[in-house]
Amino acid sequence: MLSRVADSLYWMGRYLERAENITRLLLVTEDFSSETQGLAEDLAQTAWKDMLTIFPSAQLSREVTPFAPLSMPYLHAFFIDQGNPYSIHLSLRKARENARSVREALTLEVFLALNEAFRALEAYGRKGMPDPPAYRDALVATHKGIFTVVGAIEHTSTRDEGWRFLKLGESLERSYRSALVLRAKLPALLAAEARGDAPLYYTQWRSLLRGLSSLENYRRVYGARLEPNLVIGFLLFDPDSPRSLRYGASIVRDYLAAISGPAALTTPARIVGKLHADLRYDDEALMRRGDFAELLDRVVGELAKAHDAIATQYFVT
Amino acid sequence: MKWVPEARAFDEAFDKTGTPRPHYRPLVSILESFTQDEIERRERLQKLSLIDQGITFTIYGEKEGTERIFPFDFVPRVIPAREWERLQAGLVQRVTALNLFILDVYQGQKCLKDRVIPPELLLSRKEYKRELLNVIPPRQIFTHVVGTDVIRNDKGEYLVLEDNCRCPSGVSYVLENRNTLNRVFPEFFKYYGVRPIKDYPNLLLDTLLRSAPRASEKPVVVILTPGMANSAYFEHSFLAREMGVTLVEGRDLIVEDNYVFMRTTSGKQKVDVIYRRIDDDFLDPLTFRRDSMLGVPGLVNVYREGNVALANAPGAGVADDKSVYAFMPALIRYYLGEDALLPQVSTYLGLRPQDFAYIRDHAHELVIKTAGDSGGYGMLMGPFASKREIAVYVGQMKKNPGNYIAQPLIELSAHPTYTDGKFEPRRVDLRPFILYGESVRVLPGGLTRVALRPGSYVVNSSQGGGSKDTWVLASKGAA
Repeated sequence: MLSRVADSLYWMGRYLERAENITRLLLVTEDFSSETQGLAEDLAQTAWKDMLTIFPSAQLSREVTPFAPLSMPYLHAFFIDQGNPYSIHLSLRKARENARSVREALTLEVFLALNEAFRALEAYGRKGMPDPPAYRDALVATHKGIFTVVGAIEHTSTRDEGWRFLKLGESLERSYRSALVLRAKLPALLAAEARGDAPLYYTQWRSLLRGLSSLENYRRVYGARLEPNLVIGFLLFDPDSPRSLRYGASIVRDYLAAISGPAALTTPARIVGKLHADLRYDDEALMRRGDFAELLDRVVGELAKAHDAIATQYFVT
Repeated sequence: MKWVPEARAFDEAFDKTGTPRPHYRPLVSILESFTQDEIERRERLQKLSLIDQGITFTIYGEKEGTERIFPFDFVPRVIPAREWERLQAGLVQRVTALNLFILDVYQGQKCLKDRVIPPELLLSRKEYKRELLNVIPPRQIFTHVVGTDVIRNDKGEYLVLEDNCRCPSGVSYVLENRNTLNRVFPEFFKYYGVRPIKDYPNLLLDTLLRSAPRASEKPVVVILTPGMANSAYFEHSFLAREMGVTLVEGRDLIVEDNYVFMRTTSGKQKVDVIYRRIDDDFLDPLTFRRDSMLGVPGLVNVYREGNVALANAPGAGVADDKSVYAFMPALIRYYLGEDALLPQVSTYLGLRPQDFAYIRDHAHELVIKTAGDSGGYGMLMGPFASKREIAVYVGQMKKNPGNYIAQPLIELSAHPTYTDGKFEPRRVDLRPFILYGESVRVLPGGLTRVALRPGSYVVNSSQGGGSKDTWVLASKGAA
């Protein structure tokens, strides 16, 4: 297929996944911050500040005002602010622009769903958002809208090369962003263990799992008990959970193989294959060593390299 | 429901006494059976479906990349079978002659030697491409897709207003309008046998495949678009999807060893037929405009070598020129030995001194146009212009008289159109689409454009026009 079209579909996949990630993280962080702001305002503040680490180069355009809920500037920046490169608005707009430029490669259902989701978002922007409940309402609706798009892709797309590039973008963005979420939250959370306020501590772990839409999946495997080591093991090495790093790497690897054919070993396939092998076969040693910051930096770095290699391999002919 | 009849022009739906014409009777009764609320509910549904589907076009000169929906009026235009047959025969004749004319222009120029058309006029046309002399496309077909604009005068006679042999657009709206009407007013179709149009993409693909340079086993067809910012981008993408071919931009194509390739994820792939929706001037910076960012360097040379087919063939635009138009009746007689079946609008040529003097003195009665433009750009509507506007325009004309033509103002026919709870007459034209593949075929229907502003004669989408579904009836009994 055309390199330009493959490029656009890859980015459409990335932006859609990114929009979904931002939406989910905003909902989870808003819950966490309204729950904790009276008990430990610093934790609520840190949770919001983490958003700026997970989405580097994101910017707030509004000040934190004394009496307004502290989430307001973040909700504004990440939901609707078009000046922020990591707002849901911008991500969905980019997804739609990419879709529009390759409309003939998509089904009508996918295009309609994306158009509707974006139009609904624009309507929220015009209406104005007075308070966190208004944002929550809009975020929930947006989340549904995005799932409709993803569902339309799942249900109506033929599984051709274009679809594989879209899914490659989606899976790479998912693994990359999950690694950044863990990198921002995990080391700090482990360091805070001594704090001793057990309910608050578990709220943080629960929030981490929810932020990676893994709370229910975790409970299915380990029950309601949140044991830090089990949570870490689950988020890093679980073989089946869609947002564990190991599973994510295996999916990226599979799409790369489907694109190149299993016999051909391309540069991106080498990078991701090796990363997956580490996560797959070295899990016990990595857990024992416990240097998660180093591990997560490596994952983030390798996935960034994989992205560059994909561009060189397929988009620049 | 209130129907306002047309006072001056030919009314498509009602006769002079205000009685519906036979082929409009069922439609008028169905619409009268609806309450106003019902009609408004349906109209809302229809607008929403256009926005959701992203059926939009881009307006130039407004904010960068402004997307608009092309307004659709749900009252369909109905053309009886016999009327259509006459129109169709005229169009087939005209396109056959147009193609023979273009062939002659680029090989032989007999029409100049026989003085059917003045050489000084033809050879000075902007769309005449000297570079392409003696470059003849496969099967000698230049005009694979033609959109000829037709209007009706105050007597209801069909007249040809202009030919579009370059990249006529609008066919996607023809197909989408039918879809929309089918969904929003299914009742209409119960009482009418409307000839289907949905196989257009099939016919178009067939036409393009037949134009392939040589007997290649499975020719690769692509559509070449200027890109997302182009006003007709929706249509380019629509046709690519409907035909199942790749939509490319100039930057996706590359010329090597006198063949055209597209850049794909698995390397370069050869292209045999390009349905280009880019004007000649932008096609190839090495041959035409050097500043073109849209085209493909070297493309024309590949075409010259016969290694790729371009549809329509470059150079075909010479037949669109509005001063060449004036000679069409003579050209039809010259090439086919027949009189033109479809009349056209009488035309004064700025090139002829006596005509120019007439245009200058009667500017306030005439519609004056620049010969090479389309889309309603560069036009003066004398009867509606102020003295000052006319003076400025005439001043411009004097600098380059040969670039102007003038025609009397034709009272375009009017068609009931739904506006604010009433059915009011609005001026319409018709663009049928004609394909030249194995033979010349006309899509039964076409794009009816409607001037939505009351009293306006300008139907162009860029200037406040909308469109209607156009029905050609199947049964010969009705009307």
